[in-house]
Amino acid sequence: MRKYLLPTLLALSFSTNLSHAASPWTGGDDLPTNPLACDATPAKVEAKAYDGGTPTNAPDRKGKPISVVDVPKLVGIGYFAATAKGISDAATELGNVKAKTDGPSKANIDDQITLIDNYITSGVDGILYAANDPVAIAPVLKKALAAGINVVGYDANSTPDSRQWFVNQAEFNGIAKATIDALAAETGEEGKFAIVTSTFTTPNQARWIAEMAAYQAKCHPKMEWLETVEAQEDNILSFNQANTLINKYGDDLKGIVGMTSVATPAAADAVTQAGKCGQVAVVGLATPNAMKPYVGAGCVKSVVLWNPVDLGYAAMHVLRSVADGTLQPGATSVKAGKLGDLKVINGSEILLGAPTVFTKDTINNFDF
Amino acid sequence: MSNLGNAPTRRTTSAHLIQSGYRRFLGDYGQEIFVLAAIVALFVCVTLVNPRFIAVNNLNTILSGNAYIAVAAIGMAMVIITGNIDVSVGALIGVLATVAGTLATSGYPVWVAWTVPILVGLSINTVIGLLVAYARIPSIVVTLGALSILRGGLISVTGGAWISNLPPSFLLAQQKLLGVPVPLVAMIILTLLAAFWMRNSAFGRSLYALGGNPEAAVASGIPAERRIVQVFAIHGMFAGLAAVLFATQLQVIQSTVPPNLELTIITAAVIGGVSILGGTGTVIGSTLATILFATIGSALIFVNVSAYWLRAVIGLLILITVLADMLRRRRRSV
Amino acid sequence: MIPKSLIRHETFLAVLLVVILAVLSFQSDKFLTVSNLLNQGRLMTEIGLVALAMTFVIATGGIDLSVGSILGLTAILLGVFWQKLGMPLPLAMTAAVAAGTFAGFVNGLIITRFNVPPLIATLGTLALYRGLAEGISQARSVRGYPEWFFILGQGAVLGIPTQLWLLLVAAVMAAVILAYTTWGRSTYAIGANETGARFSGLAVEKTKLAVYTASGLAAALAAVIFVSRVSTTRSDMGTGIELDAITAVVLGGTSIFGGRGTIVGTILGLCVIQALKNGLSLAGVTGDGTIMLIGVVLILAILASNLFEKSGSR
Repeated sequence: MRKYLLPTLLALSFSTNLSHAASPWTGGDDLPTNPLACDATPAKVEAKAYDGGTPTNAPDRKGKPISVVDVPKLVGIGYFAATAKGISDAATELGNVKAKTDGPSKANIDDQITLIDNYITSGVDGILYAANDPVAIAPVLKKALAAGINVVGYDANSTPDSRQWFVNQAEFNGIAKATIDALAAETGEEGKFAIVTSTFTTPNQARWIAEMAAYQAKCHPKMEWLETVEAQEDNILSFNQANTLINKYGDDLKGIVGMTSVATPAAADAVTQAGKCGQVAVVGLATPNAMKPYVGAGCVKSVVLWNPVDLGYAAMHVLRSVADGTLQPGATSVKAGKLGDLKVINGSEILLGAPTVFTKDTINNFDF
Repeated sequence: MSNLGNAPTRRTTSAHLIQSGYRRFLGDYGQEIFVLAAIVALFVCVTLVNPRFIAVNNLNTILSGNAYIAVAAIGMAMVIITGNIDVSVGALIGVLATVAGTLATSGYPVWVAWTVPILVGLSINTVIGLLVAYARIPSIVVTLGALSILRGGLISVTGGAWISNLPPSFLLAQQKLLGVPVPLVAMIILTLLAAFWMRNSAFGRSLYALGGNPEAAVASGIPAERRIVQVFAIHGMFAGLAAVLFATQLQVIQSTVPPNLELTIITAAVIGGVSILGGTGTVIGSTLATILFATIGSALIFVNVSAYWLRAVIGLLILITVLADMLRRRRRSV
Repeated sequence: MIPKSLIRHETFLAVLLVVILAVLSFQSDKFLTVSNLLNQGRLMTEIGLVALAMTFVIATGGIDLSVGSILGLTAILLGVFWQKLGMPLPLAMTAAVAAGTFAGFVNGLIITRFNVPPLIATLGTLALYRGLAEGISQARSVRGYPEWFFILGQGAVLGIPTQLWLLLVAAVMAAVILAYTTWGRSTYAIGANETGARFSGLAVEKTKLAVYTASGLAAALAAVIFVSRVSTTRSDMGTGIELDAITAVVLGGTSIFGGRGTIVGTILGLCVIQALKNGLSLAGVTGDGTIMLIGVVLILAILASNLFEKSGSR
């Protein structure tokens, strides 16, 4: 059987080189992209009609105590522990909300749908969610709306008609711009870079990669994307994949972009242990706690994210406003406690704000 | 057969003996040699495409980066040789890594943070072993239950928090022993020790006997229940060692269960020649198989196989390896 | 495989189920309502179909770890056949189910023709089929199915969820086949003593091939129902369903070594697990606690059943 390995490998290596030619970056989805301007011009905001769903016969909840369940993509990872904290902070602040976080133990659509279904049966007043898949979660959310439950999403959207509002942490093209600009600043305008992502099937990451491709082609055309590797949610696997990239490209590799809180610290550690801090830039999305050692050592200059605690906090306030009836379709802004007024975009989305960039000076102020 | 009528000469006899010994060696270690040959062939092919594949830093990535899997596979191989299985080892490693990290950041001396997980792993798996051996619950059932309990428990207790103030002296896997990275040293030494012990000690041989023919083993006086508890306990220790390597590789630890780790470990053990029917296979085989998978994973990136097809190629190669082994066994027995 | 000890385990399980239902109904008044129970039936159909087939597989002394991957592959193929190849949806559904069944058939071939132990063979095909699903789909989803397609997964017939009818029919068929047909009873013989079965003239190879093909068919049907229920396809559908199905089957009294097991037991095992998942959630226990409890129940149930057997049958 040894005889078959050699020709198989050679055949594969030749056949797959062809697929590199015309396709966009591996890991990106094929939805239309909308890259921002290369300078600091803000995006044109077009008013869009409200496209969210409506609960059927929702009881009057104004001022009354409500019970809310938060169903993130999965529990047991730091990011959603942070959003859960934001939600419970807001619930304490509001005083008339009982909020509970309960999620699947794997980022699995079936488990998440079953959980939401159970809570519909148990008669909650409101559901907050971060969807594992925008379309798969729609039927059960519509069932919730039909039962008169208020439904608000955050972090990962579903189809607009299956929820009332969606709190968006940052626009996809905004994240793309922040990341690619940070990368270009460190690698130079002709830098070659690779991407480490967790899975190709996570909708948010696929959107970010697609938007990053569009923005890079528009504003930093001389940079070169080398490849994308997938590393599940496994730290060590991400570390090994990042190392493999460093080994494969040698000095040609000038930057690595990490797409998740698992991939970015692993990539940073790979660069550190390979002794290439300063030669290979590491940029990416990650929570501060995961990146503190690397930012502190100066190996990573900046970490792009938003504040997930604020995200959860805003989502809870939005849900309360919806339940009270103070936030109606067609509104252009909503008040979210200590975050002030948040803008409504894209018809039924509420924007948290611009991405936060954590640097050496600021990263120690956060604990999530 | 042509020798039958003649008195065998000395030269013929010793040549014959050398030949049959050689063939027996090939037969005994056939799968291990096959896996080793596959690794070498892979290295040759890929280095032709990209010479950086064989550079020291890449060898280090392949060998040291996956050493923890090989270490865990040693314990798993022993369990499988006795005819049992453990699907909870991935969750156990996640839990033990969290224990190690928590101890390290709570001010305990580094050696405490390294040894307590090993003891905890031993204890948890002893309970599993007791249930399998004395309560006669099949190992797949007990470990399915253990998997759920460990995974749910870890989420309940930690919520998946990052552990990130690890003292540098804790990072064992990043250190070197006589110039060789610790994980690589650990993998080689543990594999050789375990292999030697399995082959040459009464304990080791009794494991093979239990897996191959349980009734005969018991009839010849092997304390079956005790052995099973012992083998699970040892497996727990190896899981603890693997967890320490796992926890000390990066400067941060995420307190979650690494996805699919148990499948990787089981696959490494069985592809390495450990028969799932019990009774045969060596830990050298499981370590070589771990190296083979790591090499394949790296090779596929080096030769630019489309990232979307990576897992399909790996699955196909697993099947090819298995089929080849079966054909080889069949040819032997004919 | 004497019925006496079997009936004892199934009775024990039935009692356990009643106890669980009673306790949990006290925790929440929404638990024991008709609409909730019917809804749970809807949710447990996919794993139910897989577990029914898995009972046969485990009764022959084998195992099939690739059912989750077959589910994912079938789901992806359904989308690809309908969207990329432009087949009319009913044809695409049939073709996808045929493909999934064929995947199970390939499992059977590897196990019978090449003598690869089932655990290893299905470990390999688990990786291969999942990889095929990822590669063929290129991580894209297929959505936008016509309305009538959703009746299968989201609709109801005569007040009972559509897929639940399918599960009931499948369960009755499986029970009849396993207990009353020669072919069904030969699965027990193969599991208990394969060499003996072979020498008794039973068609061992054909039976094993059929069992794994059936497992593939069950996973493929579950895939179509799942796609209809969530209205999209993803290459990671079905991950982990094999362990859930095996848990239900062994809880139901099927011996992992082969030679014993009933469909009634599997159905009871499924109900116990679903009741726990649903009831505990309604009672306010979060997901991680539920997982732990199910693990504990599994071990305790088998432990208790073993004790019963020891004290009873001597």
